[in-house]
Amino acid sequence: MISTQAKDSIERIFYKAAQSRLPREAGDSCEIVTIPQDALDAAPEARVVVLTISSILFRLLLILQFKDDAGTRDYFVKDVADNSFQEIFSEVANLCCGAMNQELLNYFPDLGMSTPYLLSARCVSHLQQLNPGFLASYKLTLNHAAQVTATVCVCAHAPIDFVADLSAVEESSGELELF
Amino acid sequence: MSKILVVDDSSTVRDEVAGFLRKNGLDVDTAVDGRDGLAKLKASPGTKLVISDVNMPNMDGLTMVEKIRGELANSAVNIIMLTTESSPAMKERGKAAGVKGWIVKPFKGEAVLETFKKLAS
Repeated sequence: MISTQAKDSIERIFYKAAQSRLPREAGDSCEIVTIPQDALDAAPEARVVVLTISSILFRLLLILQFKDDAGTRDYFVKDVADNSFQEIFSEVANLCCGAMNQELLNYFPDLGMSTPYLLSARCVSHLQQLNPGFLASYKLTLNHAAQVTATVCVCAHAPIDFVADLSAVEESSGELELF
Repeated sequence: MSKILVVDDSSTVRDEVAGFLRKNGLDVDTAVDGRDGLAKLKASPGTKLVISDVNMPNMDGLTMVEKIRGELANSAVNIIMLTTESSPAMKERGKAAGVKGWIVKPFKGEAVLETFKKLAS
């Protein structure tokens, strides 16, 4: 139900959102590698941040797991040490999903996005049961230090076919639009 | 300098935005959701600028704006939405409710500081 070019578009939209929103500084690197579903290794106590983008035609889940190690903590927490690790990750995930939402709005005007919520990482292994039309996982390494595992899952309720033209979209985030 | 109220359920965003504004000499209070924002504004009617998220628990940002203009009959306070939401429909609802401006996150303080100062003066 999701065309090949739509799947490619969803992946490119995710790449752009991750590369623009996950790095904490403008010059930081963000390497993304696709990983097979059976290579996902979550500790039983691990938590993931989940956000959804919903429309009449589909539901997209963005699931981010931030590795709980010193390199990842140091990279993301920095000067906001008063906040919890999960609170900071939730906001970073919110920004990443918001960027995907912003791109998708160019093709699907009826979108609604959830707030971030925390689930057990074990939920990822059950995604196949949603019968997704698109399911892909990625390992992201930020600035050679922080590690994030991302899964994008799209369940279509109707045929989906679109080609994302990411070069045509202007970067307007952070700017004040006065009414 | 008049007070600014930052309303967001994310403590990360509250700290980032309020911290930046305080560092630049502005008087800032914070609220954790729309309901809290409404209560804080009632308690400080002299607040000149509200910077608010849209999607929050208990009361969302646009409902809060509608109540500020309706229940509180406060038409003087300037309200800016700071959110990941960027849909034209959402912005239209904001505009109709009396929102002055819209910023799509992430927050880039330097880009909006001078305007915030004017709106808060």
